[in-house]
Amino acid sequence: MNTFKRGLFLSLLFILAIVLVACSEDGKETKNDEEKAPVSTEGSKVEELTIGYTGPLSGPAAFYGEETLKGLRMAAEEINDSGGFEVDGQKYTINLSTLDDKYLPNEAAANAKRLVQEQDTKFIYTPHSGGVYAMQVFNEMEDFIVMAYTSEPGVTETGNKMTVRIPPRYDRYIEPFTKYEMERFGKKIAFLPTATQYGKDWADSLRPVWEANGGEVVFDESIDFSKDTDFQTIMTNALAKNPDVLFIGGPSQPTALVLKQARDLGFEGGFIIMDQAKLDEIAAVLGGSYDLLEGVISTPPLVTSRYGGTEAFIEKYRSENDKDPGSESGFHYISLYILVEAMKAAGTVDDTEKIMAAMDQGAKNLPEDKEVYYIQGVDDDGGFLPLLRMAYVENGEIVQMGEEK
Amino acid sequence: MELLLQQLFNGLTLGSVYILVAIGLTLVFGILHVPNFAHGALYLIGGYLTLMAMKGLGVHYFVAIIISMISVALIAILMERLVFNPLRNAPAIHDKIAAIGMVLFFDALVSLIWGNDYQRMITPYGDSVTIFGIATSYQRILVIVVAVVVVILLQLFLKKTMIGASIIAMAQNREGAFLVGINANAVAMMTFAISGALAAIAASISSPINLVFPAMGHIVILKAFVVVIIGGMGSVPGAIIGGLILGITESLGATYISNDYKDMIAFLLLIIIMTVRPKGLFAKGVY
Repeated sequence: MNTFKRGLFLSLLFILAIVLVACSEDGKETKNDEEKAPVSTEGSKVEELTIGYTGPLSGPAAFYGEETLKGLRMAAEEINDSGGFEVDGQKYTINLSTLDDKYLPNEAAANAKRLVQEQDTKFIYTPHSGGVYAMQVFNEMEDFIVMAYTSEPGVTETGNKMTVRIPPRYDRYIEPFTKYEMERFGKKIAFLPTATQYGKDWADSLRPVWEANGGEVVFDESIDFSKDTDFQTIMTNALAKNPDVLFIGGPSQPTALVLKQARDLGFEGGFIIMDQAKLDEIAAVLGGSYDLLEGVISTPPLVTSRYGGTEAFIEKYRSENDKDPGSESGFHYISLYILVEAMKAAGTVDDTEKIMAAMDQGAKNLPEDKEVYYIQGVDDDGGFLPLLRMAYVENGEIVQMGEEK
Repeated sequence: MELLLQQLFNGLTLGSVYILVAIGLTLVFGILHVPNFAHGALYLIGGYLTLMAMKGLGVHYFVAIIISMISVALIAILMERLVFNPLRNAPAIHDKIAAIGMVLFFDALVSLIWGNDYQRMITPYGDSVTIFGIATSYQRILVIVVAVVVVILLQLFLKKTMIGASIIAMAQNREGAFLVGINANAVAMMTFAISGALAAIAASISSPINLVFPAMGHIVILKAFVVVIIGGMGSVPGAIIGGLILGITESLGATYISNDYKDMIAFLLLIIIMTVRPKGLFAKGVY
């Protein structure tokens, strides 16, 4: 009897497993990071260069972590498939070594130590400012370059000589965003950014600019996406103050819901959206139409950019992932190419000081067909200098403005 | 005045979801005296199964909810059979460790099968509507209606049916229940099935307001534990009152004090209630 019962339950378990798998929309295969080093045709030995990555690969931010990693992987695979790159007569292929830090600064620091000690890597990517700050405590001493994917200007202003900041710094957007929204909608703004350090820093930069332009902050609180299940309460309170503009932000998908709830409650004004969220992803959550996004100003989606390498990148990403790429994938992709170009220009793969000095040259040497974004150069602090581009929604369509190449 | 009404309504929506999750948790505790930390995982799977049934099989929202309820009830039974039942004579801490292990397992499983993306569940009831000056959507009204209907049906089931009576008997006096011939295994499985189905309903009706993503279980389970502790572990009326108290305190606290402090207010309330009534509001009057 007992064995019969056990058998029954095991078979039930089996059926459930099948149901679960059958319900899944697409079977995803996990990829192996280890790339076999190809032997070059001349017979000389190809060496493998390890590039480290620590980011959120599990937990609430895992989706974001995966997107950043996809860009890196695509670039690494392309470089390896073309036989690697040559520095000072020696050919190298790239080995991406990835670790999960669950978006936690302390884990990022521990991972960085591990990558440096076990694999002797000189370059470590991380896509969050907390992790960057944690690594900056010891990166100069342990001699590795932090490849920081964060728009936080602070990370390159601390005087750390071994940090590269990849995306555009967010403080450059604040003035034009303020002017646009104030002119179009009015002077009263309600703050409802994400309750992270990044959200608070953004809000702290926006507040003085908004007030200096004669505006007024009528509501100032934040939304914790890791704790709140419903934003109706806070939105009701914010709208009770009759704002003309809302300042919101965070990951695209919950931000889209915040925006929708504001519209559901009858808000007709504009939105300033922090650079983390992407207009196209927000629209996708809301059913693909830009109607609800009327009056939004934010950073332009990657799919609307047009540089030498954008189209090829988008096409390749779509064929591999069946969706549109976000800017984090695009920036990671070019950043690896720029890093490789910088190593070529510096003539070394392990002298970090020389490589940092050659970073500007690396950005300028980026082949045009890899130019997903146009980077004018790298400043003395290690910050990439992309063009300042913005996008707003008018009459249901995305309109772009900003610097031209 | 309008703001107060609006916020009371918002609190009611929040509270309804808490109630549905908390009742499942409290029922299991009442029978087995196990705080089932893995209850959030059932909520998570419930949300995903409804979404996938809608997307993959193309069935109607309500049909998807029923598929999800049955599947999650089966998973909950398996949980009881494969994990909690073998551990019934083990030291008390083992249950809890096993439950935490299951949370990690199901989280990873969901990420593996369905990915880490945020997904949106689109239902036919997303349109917004204004009633008596309160701006809301049909989905939010549905949340409240479903919670009320489920609570009433559950009460009828517990009070009026033989199986329900045996669940209550088990909760009140385990040995006594054995003596009158109640099958403990059957009752335990039944309780887990109900708790799983309730988690699936809660996830399915609240997901259209929020999103479906792998961390959705954690957020809700934390609140549900607070509700259960406020109401008294093992008490169904306690879970209902506790859910309403927490939902409404959160929304009114956010309105009249500060959104940034609303969790603090909720937990302060928890501490006060614990000080005055250490076993929760309804500790002794189980069911």
